[in-house]
Amino acid sequence: MKEKSIIKFENFSFRYDSANEFILKNINLEINKNELVILAGPTGCGKSTLLRSIIGLIPHMHGGEYKGRVIVDQLVVNDVKITDLAKKAGFVFQNPENQIFMFSIERDIVFGLENLGTSRTIMKERVDSILSLLKIEHLATKAPHELSDGEKQKAALAGILAMQPKILILDEPTSLLDPKTAIDFINIVNDLRKKIGMTIVIVEHRLDLVVGIADKLIILSNGKIIENNNPKQVLHYSNQLIPEIGIPVISRLYRNLAKSNYDFDNVIVTVKDMVKEMRRKKFND
Amino acid sequence: MIEFKNVNYIHVNGIQALKEINLSIKPKTINALVGSNGTGKTTLARHINGLLKPTSGNVLVFGKNTKKISVASLSKRIGMVFQNSNHQLFADTVKNEILFGLNNFETDSQIKKNRFEWALNFFDLKKYENTSPLKLSGGEKKRLCIASVLAWNPEVLILDEPTVGQDQVQKEKMLKFISNLNKQGKTIIIISHDLEFLWPLKPNTIVMAKGRIKKTGKMTDIFSDDELLNQTCLMRPQLLDLWMKLNIKEEPPGDITEATDAIRRINGS
Amino acid sequence: MVVKMYWISKGFIFTKVDSFVHKLDPRVKLLISIQFFTLALLVSDLIDLAIIFIGIILLASISKILSRLIRTMLFALLFSGIILGINIIAGYSFIYSLQIALRFVAIVCSTSIFFLITSPDELEYVLRWFRIPNDLVFAFVTAVRFVPIILLDALQIIDAQKSRGLELERGNPITRIKNFVPILVPLIVNEVIRSGELAEAMESRCYGVVKKPTVLYELQLNINDKLAIPFCTSIFILGLLFSI
Repeated sequence: MKEKSIIKFENFSFRYDSANEFILKNINLEINKNELVILAGPTGCGKSTLLRSIIGLIPHMHGGEYKGRVIVDQLVVNDVKITDLAKKAGFVFQNPENQIFMFSIERDIVFGLENLGTSRTIMKERVDSILSLLKIEHLATKAPHELSDGEKQKAALAGILAMQPKILILDEPTSLLDPKTAIDFINIVNDLRKKIGMTIVIVEHRLDLVVGIADKLIILSNGKIIENNNPKQVLHYSNQLIPEIGIPVISRLYRNLAKSNYDFDNVIVTVKDMVKEMRRKKFND
Repeated sequence: MIEFKNVNYIHVNGIQALKEINLSIKPKTINALVGSNGTGKTTLARHINGLLKPTSGNVLVFGKNTKKISVASLSKRIGMVFQNSNHQLFADTVKNEILFGLNNFETDSQIKKNRFEWALNFFDLKKYENTSPLKLSGGEKKRLCIASVLAWNPEVLILDEPTVGQDQVQKEKMLKFISNLNKQGKTIIIISHDLEFLWPLKPNTIVMAKGRIKKTGKMTDIFSDDELLNQTCLMRPQLLDLWMKLNIKEEPPGDITEATDAIRRINGS
Repeated sequence: MVVKMYWISKGFIFTKVDSFVHKLDPRVKLLISIQFFTLALLVSDLIDLAIIFIGIILLASISKILSRLIRTMLFALLFSGIILGINIIAGYSFIYSLQIALRFVAIVCSTSIFFLITSPDELEYVLRWFRIPNDLVFAFVTAVRFVPIILLDALQIIDAQKSRGLELERGNPITRIKNFVPILVPLIVNEVIRSGELAEAMESRCYGVVKKPTVLYELQLNINDKLAIPFCTSIFILGLLFSI
């Protein structure tokens, strides 16, 4: 039987060696193939820990008390090496500066492949296909310090895509970018999913950028999952919604209006939705 | 009280970071300096407390030319909080972190004591007095940075990207601090590209692009301009956007409560 | 101070220039520099030194980096002045001391010219060609890549603390050392955080899986390189013969 889920947490708990308390408590979670999932929650709720336990940085790099299992594309994280997982799941960190190692972007794109001893022909093909996939051919021979913030983030993404992972994990990839650049980046990520079919897990504070394209919104609070559902459902009907996750202004307005007996037919997350809905209700005609 | 007159600034690597800046900031106002990354916002701000001096033109602060006074004497009246909290926190305890600037600028021990207490309480840091700054969360670190600057009671407060890495609740707390400080008579200058955060403050807005000031004025007026938004890589605050798309003529609401009331009122229910 | 540091640093740090010399194979560039270096070590009289300087200046002008090399020269002259002084005080003749001092400048220039015409990327290839272990090559790459970033961090921290009333040049020698604490502590904290992030990124990109990683490109001598090697070497041998 073919599995539908690609990432699976089974009764997973984790405590860092340096801490007294568990940062993640009894997590049970399944993420399906080709889903785009947003992970949200207040700072320090365990989001980063959850992401790091998918690619094996936990427990293989950061040790601690580890309970339960994490299964990534049929591999049990605890039983395999980080490098085996690296081919399954790629991780784009928050600060692109600290994940571009080489002096030219094309060299950095193949950094992972070089480390695996991949042949030159394959690497050259891979560089070309990824540069054109992300439309950054012009950056190939540039040095990292010649790039803008947005370009650096794309270069970091390219370096991860070169390993052809099935899962892409993004830890606040836009927090250092300005709004339009951030939208561009999110659009690129969404296109990837359409073009090459990937499972994407993203931590993003600006929910308004991603709620429109995501399949699920998972809210983590105090090391526990308190919501896991369609983003519109969560934003509009959840009783457990916590303000830290950065609910878009328009969704908050919607919730307020809904409370005062405005009857909306659809769930609203963007200004465009709201305007359409109000027009339909003959508001302000 | 802060005035830029034909200021140009050329960086050591030959890049012109500021071009023909003319600007005047009035006392006791909230000002927002907005624009995409790398347009010179931070460079402009560093001219205000004298960290950078104009290549040509003049910056006058409290009527004095910044070329003629030291950074220290300007900083006494102009407090600047940097973007990355880790770039300034160094002391062993929260207490000593706050006392650092205070000791540099203030000599009277009674005033020192009062100011110290004020900073701890105003920023809700009393319980951390003897904690190491490194153990604080991101939001608390940011508050400590602001507290350690406001401790010596500067008249102007410059905040560089205060919302980066902060969650919604921390941002809302900061909004409250900023408007309270402004009510107490502080002049505030916020560098940010987070218009959604700035919107409820109704600041005087200065828009920069490629080293130039593109426009100054009220946010509502500035960001009705689609062309300008595109040029500056910014996003229109959602409430303003909604009001424009619905063609509502009255002043757009500052927050969600106002918006809910307005919609109810207009709809006549 | 920052401006001065920046000005001098330009005499040592590589920036992209489009010239015949820059397009040569990095191993050829290394060969040329070593030849200049050796000659500078061996020659003794002022006329020979002058010829070496002309050679270096010619090479610098073909590679369009003369203005930068002059900065290095001025910087080296500063030190050579001290060398000259010490030698004279030690009782050596003026001519002899001048030779020693100028030889120092020639040695510095022949080294610096290599770094001015060779990109860090090419340097890495050269290190690999010499079969230096991967860990060492990568340590070198990371150092060169992150030194400018750490410098920027340091400048930010200095600005932040200056805005809080820190005056580095205030007080007696002991307080002056203490003045650096508010700069050093954040710098160390930042770089510890950064190195943690780097380590995570390295792990997640399979660093160290194979002992000898493959490399995207291979160093290959093209026709220009093949011409440049005998040309430079014959001049070098001629120089050797004359100086001995």
